Amino acid sequence: MKKIQIKELIEKIEGEAELDFTFRGGVIEDVRINFGFYRGIEEILQGKDAWDALVITPRVCGICNHAHLIAAVRAIEDGYRSAGITLTLSPKAQKLREFTLACELIQNHIKWLYMTIIPQLEAYLKIESEQNHAMKATYLSSTITRALAIFSGQWPHSSYAVPGGVTCDPTHLDLMQAEALIDESIRFFEQVVTGMSLEAYLSLTSVSQLHRVEADLGRLMHLIGSHGMAASGQSYDRFIVFGESMLSSSGKSIATAVSKVDPRYVEESVQEGTVAKAVSYKKRLYETGPLARGMVAKRPIIKSLHKRYKDAMLTRIFARVNEVGLLLAQSKRLLGEIVVDEPSCTLDMETRCVDFEGYGVVEAARGSLIHRTKVSEGLIKRYEIITPTQWNLSHGTEEEDGIAVHAMVGAKSIQEATFIFRTFDVCSVCTAQ
Amino acid sequence: MDQVQHSKPKLLWLQSITCNGNTHSFLNHPDLFSILSHFEVVHHPVLESDYTIADLTALKVPCDILILEGSFVEKGLTKNGVEVSQMIAHYGNEAAHIITAGTCATFGGIFKQKDPKHISGFCFDHEQQTKRYEQFASKLISLPGCPIHPRWLSYVLMMLSRGHDIALDTLHRPVELYGYTVHTGCTRNEYFEWKIDTKGYGLKEGCLFYEQGCQGPYTRGSCNKILWNDTSSKTRVGTPCFGCTEPYYPKNRLFVTRTNMGIPATMPLGVPRRAYLTLTGVVKSFKIKRFSQRLLEYDQ
Repeated sequence: MKKIQIKELIEKIEGEAELDFTFRGGVIEDVRINFGFYRGIEEILQGKDAWDALVITPRVCGICNHAHLIAAVRAIEDGYRSAGITLTLSPKAQKLREFTLACELIQNHIKWLYMTIIPQLEAYLKIESEQNHAMKATYLSSTITRALAIFSGQWPHSSYAVPGGVTCDPTHLDLMQAEALIDESIRFFEQVVTGMSLEAYLSLTSVSQLHRVEADLGRLMHLIGSHGMAASGQSYDRFIVFGESMLSSSGKSIATAVSKVDPRYVEESVQEGTVAKAVSYKKRLYETGPLARGMVAKRPIIKSLHKRYKDAMLTRIFARVNEVGLLLAQSKRLLGEIVVDEPSCTLDMETRCVDFEGYGVVEAARGSLIHRTKVSEGLIKRYEIITPTQWNLSHGTEEEDGIAVHAMVGAKSIQEATFIFRTFDVCSVCTAQ
Repeated sequence: MDQVQHSKPKLLWLQSITCNGNTHSFLNHPDLFSILSHFEVVHHPVLESDYTIADLTALKVPCDILILEGSFVEKGLTKNGVEVSQMIAHYGNEAAHIITAGTCATFGGIFKQKDPKHISGFCFDHEQQTKRYEQFASKLISLPGCPIHPRWLSYVLMMLSRGHDIALDTLHRPVELYGYTVHTGCTRNEYFEWKIDTKGYGLKEGCLFYEQGCQGPYTRGSCNKILWNDTSSKTRVGTPCFGCTEPYYPKNRLFVTRTNMGIPATMPLGVPRRAYLTLTGVVKSFKIKRFSQRLLEYDQ
């Protein structure tokens, strides 16, 4: 059968990627994913003060910078502890970090839904839309990042998390203003995204109840289902989560069998033809991100979707939007639990720790983000960043195709394949760093 | 009488070596779409726009205002097989105005540190003019910041759309935005005046200039006048200013103040060392009880 190769430039994915498709007999047989420019953040960090990572690493990525900050501060804290320093965060500092991180995830997921998935699906299905989807995205994302900035000072590119806690010292008034912004975001989720109350939405446990979802998410699922796309985009049905968060504990799930993970088995490898490095766990590739978190947490609605569609596009897309609802409910709860007169930062200013090695992991919007730092005489000797998109978007190892590649193989057109590609929430800058 | 059709200025947002932080910062603008309605957005990194990157690389897209995001490199960064430097040169010639959005595009920024010899800002390398400066200076507007503040960019765009001249300083920064220092409007100013340093992170009280590395008093920018996310700023939440709008950003040891004989090594902008020391001597001779107490206590 005739083999055809086509190159396609994908844009508006936090940068660009070039996909080289190989078709045989009208279906995609292979895809090479090539991410652009290597900026060398890990090298830039060498020789800098250990704490400078709190300022430099958020600049890996304009859309998930806060996750980099949290991973960086955890890596330093882990290093301090392994060097023998006692460091216990106050519940207030922990909750503030969880809250601000949740805000960033919501911002990210909503932008992906309204600026990527809905417009791309409409373009693919040739549906003319009268709506300004981007306006919905920026309305919610600017509302939620304002709540974030009450504590972090700004978004993007805050450095308010420091070893031992956070730099802010909020008042009840600050908490109240943040809560009003979360309430506004919940109202948006109810009226614009799901067409139902948050409480009713979060009580959905089975595919058979999903017809109750209306508004934009209801319409999106209906379009995918009625065009026979729901079950396409399946990959290996293997999932991995390294961070502990409100959404999931760590673990891996092979189909539905969940077991423990040990980050020591994470391995990076250089790939030919792209600056992005591939990542594997015990030589096998895993999907990371919202679908992985839903599977490892054994969330009923995700398990129910998975039972019918496996790790196909409908399950993957739903899992990401679903996190918006979960995070909104949990961030409102967190605000209610913060005790303002607890200490914000427990690190004594006199504490010095200049030789250490630390590991920090965080659940970012696209999945597990890992930072490792090795510090000698106060200066960074080696810094390593493993981003979630390196898990999902590599072209693979010698043994197997990459996660997204495997999901695209079998697609009948470039349009179908690139839509599948975008269901992973592609971030070019994080992948290439 | 002839009817003159005034078409909207064509806005082209082009990325070089970047993290997209300026793009996402601008998306936070609460009036984003009403601002953009004054322009025809021919290309944008994330918003839907008329032309694709492939169109851009054919060098045939119309452009009146060019927004550049990201550090500049002459060779090695391509889009669709075309050097980005070549695209910038082409659209820079076409455009009536060039805005360098962010410290990377303006001075080189963080990504310059990967390859300081070859990576720089578009018209400035730190403070030095690059060889492109002469050619583009007449249309250049610098908006340093890591990232830019959304309202700084909207100010420039709306001034251009109304045909107003924008007053600039020698590095082409709008004086209305960069005539201030980040220190202006900081809620910790009283502690600065009385030379009271903070006793640690996570406190409302104390100034971050003496120990924690705050560069606010000598960094140009209006972060504490035009608040971030219309809400706050780094120094208001107890994080030091890292000088992210400045030509030499990022310096090293960002959480530590460099000192000479216990006095900050870099003086507040334009303040002679002698004046600073005199004032310090005076205020330090008083002990004011209020400044040694917490601002507010919840358990009393």
